[in-house]
Amino acid sequence: MATRIDTHPHPVAAHAEATGLVAWLTTVDHKRIGILYGVTAFVFLLVGGLEALLIRLQLALPHQRIVGAEFYNALFTMHGTTMIFLAVMPLNAMFFNYMIPLMIGARDVAFPRLNAFSYWVYLSGGIFINLSFLVGTPPDGGWFGYANLTTRPFSPGPSIDFWVIGLQVLGVSSVVASVNFAVTIMNMRAPGMTLMRMPLFVWMSLIVQFLVVLAFPIITVGLIFLMMDRFFGTHFFDVAAGADLHLWQHVFWAFGHPEVYILILPAFGIVSEVIPTFARKPLFGAPVMIYSGILIAFLGFGVWSHHMFASGMGPVADAAFSIATMLIAIPTGIKIFNWLATLWGGRIHVTTAFRFAAGILGVFTIGGLSGVMHASPPVDLQQTDSYFVVAHMHYVLIGGTLFGIFAGLYYWWPKMTGRLLDERLGRINFWTMFLGFNVAFFPQHFLGALGMPRRIYTYPADAGWTLWNFVSTAGAFVLGLGVALFLVNAALTMRRGARAAGDPWDGRTLEWRTSSPPPVHDFDQIPPVYSRDTFWREKYGDRHGRKPVPRPPMPEPHGIHLPAPSFWPIVAAVGILAAAVGALTHLALVVAGAAVTVVAIFAFALEHHGNPAHAHQVGELAVDHRKLAMWTFLGSECFFFGTLIATYLAYKGRNVVGPHPHEILNLPLTTLSTFDLLMSSLLMVLALAAAQRGDRTQTRLWLAGTVLFGVIFLGFQAWEFTEFVHEGLTLRTNLFGSTFFTLTGFHGGHVAIGVTWLTTLLILDLRGRLTVADALKVEVAGLYWHFVDIVWIAIFTLVYLIP
Amino acid sequence: MGPFAWDGPMSTVVAASDMARDVLALYGLITWICVAIGTLVFAVLGYVLVRFRERPGAPLPAQSHGRPWLEIAWTLGPAIVLLVIAVPTIQVIFRTQTLATPRDALEVVVRGYQWWWEFSYPSLGVVTANELVVPAGRRVVFRLEGPDVIHSFWVPKFGGKRDVVPGRANTMTLMPSSAGDFWGQCAEFCGASHANMGMRVVVHAPERFDAWVRAQRAPAVEPAGEPATTGKALFAASACVGCHTVRGVSAGTLGPDLTHFGSRTTLGAGMLPNTPQNLVAWVRDAPALKPGAKMPPFRLTDEQARALAAYLLALQ
Repeated sequence: MATRIDTHPHPVAAHAEATGLVAWLTTVDHKRIGILYGVTAFVFLLVGGLEALLIRLQLALPHQRIVGAEFYNALFTMHGTTMIFLAVMPLNAMFFNYMIPLMIGARDVAFPRLNAFSYWVYLSGGIFINLSFLVGTPPDGGWFGYANLTTRPFSPGPSIDFWVIGLQVLGVSSVVASVNFAVTIMNMRAPGMTLMRMPLFVWMSLIVQFLVVLAFPIITVGLIFLMMDRFFGTHFFDVAAGADLHLWQHVFWAFGHPEVYILILPAFGIVSEVIPTFARKPLFGAPVMIYSGILIAFLGFGVWSHHMFASGMGPVADAAFSIATMLIAIPTGIKIFNWLATLWGGRIHVTTAFRFAAGILGVFTIGGLSGVMHASPPVDLQQTDSYFVVAHMHYVLIGGTLFGIFAGLYYWWPKMTGRLLDERLGRINFWTMFLGFNVAFFPQHFLGALGMPRRIYTYPADAGWTLWNFVSTAGAFVLGLGVALFLVNAALTMRRGARAAGDPWDGRTLEWRTSSPPPVHDFDQIPPVYSRDTFWREKYGDRHGRKPVPRPPMPEPHGIHLPAPSFWPIVAAVGILAAAVGALTHLALVVAGAAVTVVAIFAFALEHHGNPAHAHQVGELAVDHRKLAMWTFLGSECFFFGTLIATYLAYKGRNVVGPHPHEILNLPLTTLSTFDLLMSSLLMVLALAAAQRGDRTQTRLWLAGTVLFGVIFLGFQAWEFTEFVHEGLTLRTNLFGSTFFTLTGFHGGHVAIGVTWLTTLLILDLRGRLTVADALKVEVAGLYWHFVDIVWIAIFTLVYLIP
Repeated sequence: MGPFAWDGPMSTVVAASDMARDVLALYGLITWICVAIGTLVFAVLGYVLVRFRERPGAPLPAQSHGRPWLEIAWTLGPAIVLLVIAVPTIQVIFRTQTLATPRDALEVVVRGYQWWWEFSYPSLGVVTANELVVPAGRRVVFRLEGPDVIHSFWVPKFGGKRDVVPGRANTMTLMPSSAGDFWGQCAEFCGASHANMGMRVVVHAPERFDAWVRAQRAPAVEPAGEPATTGKALFAASACVGCHTVRGVSAGTLGPDLTHFGSRTTLGAGMLPNTPQNLVAWVRDAPALKPGAKMPPFRLTDEQARALAAYLLALQ
């Protein structure tokens, strides 16, 4: 490989290699952000692990008093919340960040500053939720936060407030990051890297990004309902007002089950990289592995109610969700069998990374099979909420996900640090974790069979649960020791470890084609892509040993462009943290935090306005990154409004007291405002056409018109809301008020954001700073605007027109 | 009971009702199928790991990309196995959830409170708490009502759990098979003392059940002798009456009905044996024993506490 950097590098390239605190706070380098994610998430993994060990200590014997009931409840709540949102998802994000650009032959992600923003918001959310320990009120409603237990009457203190707000903050981080990675994967692949040539890890990651984008808005809406019940007196979970408590469960699990695949699919991807590398064979049936991943994700959206078999949905729903759940076993089984077939006939080079991957084939299978058992509702009625389920989900999330993460760590560590981890210590590391894990969790199947319920801080001595609890606790400590051994290995090899070559494992994919660690610009030249496992093909040729004809390097007329560091991502995140803290302390802080965030977002958006290096962002799909990102985000918005609208419809007619919709809705007036909003879409189209032709007068005119019509719509809405309040309908009046104001209020909020956005573009135009090259910015804003209008058509039809 | 015994008061693999027998048969079928598949996977994995381990000087393996017929085989194979699981699953779902209620069925209204159970038998005029008594060989319909948060009514030996959801009318119908006693517990996390929301379940032969009903319908026992008489006066004059019913003495409804409290074997929803010492500690400071318990601590002298306990235990 030639090492020739363009002779005229972009001037900002020099910044990215800077060291020191400021450089890390402002970094937009995907590799550094990956390391930030990894270090932070590992710290949270240790925190969550400590919580787990306290839980196991308390349960080691009956009638223990190591922790009290309330603190125990907080421990398992925070253990679940921490492991899922603060440890495992961000550990996966570490790999997404570091490896995806390298594996697709890119130099960064599509939106480097947004990437930094995601990290800082994640850190803010993690700090915020854990602040609850410092003030002595950690969340204690379970990671699933079932309402109505988590509503104000039954959980009066601030504990659930920390949880409900913290999770919303983390949701922002996750969705922003996922839009970013989805666009990166779709649009930034090196030439020749077709979708079917993408490495399996990248494929599974792509699926995960869509799962996050589509599943998180559902829980966000649920959290908004809960927050509004707790802070503003709405009735979403108030049984006396006619609420249905299944609502939370449906909303939570419609997110919660896809979340399981969000946690496990990256591990499947890692196994699919590690096994072929060390078996020295291509992945068996790679296309089927890809399709089965897609199928798992797709089915994963249709099985949430298997978490609710005990809740009384009726036999038809039970049967339907049971069958859908069983179907997932088929693509999952295919994955296991294909991995085995990959090993078959291979020449297996056993390393620590391989051990963890092979370990998954064993223990994840157990978790998958116990999952099939729960898929049968009658059996599940004996297993759900018992230790059998605790065993099942730890077999999936440790035996699958965490082992996958460790396989990835041992596999990619040399790439990320330039040092090899010690293999001898690695072997001990694996076996300690493997043994500890199985001793800790296998006996929990027995505890489940013996009827031990979950989430109990104590148990009687004569229930027959003592022995297995004691064994489980012992195993948990061995598992903890295993995790600690990884830290020892990392610490020992960090300075003294053997230096890693660019390609220490004789790898198959592009990340091994650059140095370890990679240079700041990842690749000196964008690598050629000849096939799936392209690097292997380059080294060994195809199955007949024919090597591809080397392609000349891609011309890069503009040199290597590296994004400039920026302070605004962290400033915006600090604003969000301040606002979250304010929600529990003082309104002024909320306002101040929001103001900081808004200022930072504007500064962020305008930072590179007019910078020619940012004008052209068209990628592999021949679409601009920003447009693709907006489309992806609108997918998320569909689920957001879909959940709001579905809730409105589900609660329709359940009012205990008036006023009822037909008594109060003003159809003629709303028809007028609907017409106004539709017309604004027409003006938006004219504005975009004018912007694309470079007709500045017309652009201005139509943009101003769109803004005006948007403002008129908001005026109508303000007038409507005022009327309703005068007629005695507020958020607090009844279920109709709660659902109506929340749905239309969030829509109005979207319109207001659109008006602000278009106004900003208008001002830029008036100041002569909107050139024809910026037409895309008008287009992206226009996409958003049209979407918001379409949502209104749905709301108008379902809320106003249908009685 | 030895450590490896599969029986226990909460065992899910011992059946004590018709529903439990159905469920257990299915549980067994699926378990064995899963064990068989698991064994197969482990065997192949073990073989592969040993057989195809790297040997010095071995050539690179053939770079084969897959065999479609194999993949079709291991798509169809599991599909057939799942069918074997799905068919009886659907049968049991409908059999256990769509049972017609015979006219002689016994209706029990189960109310899950934070953190205790109330069982009332509307047709018999009996209300009790934390100890569920049902007859063997007669169909029982449990009507689950939640006055506060979501709980889950779980008696493993009856064959499953069903959530007690405020605002929803869930039911569970089954026929206890023979006399016996075992435990049940709340299975949905419901707050501070979720762990202490147990119950005792007693299945009586029909005649014995009828005797129990007669005893429960009887008015509260008038205490004879000291300190129970003092205890009654104390009870009637104190805050106890605001929450507890002792028929003929008080009519509180926030806490368990105590009319026949002395006939129960446990205290605090299956937490403690119902002994005088435990009861003395309980009436003085229930939250110290049961975190979050709604009954506040009372400042009672030793004598007062003992008198109160004596009265309550006399309520046979």
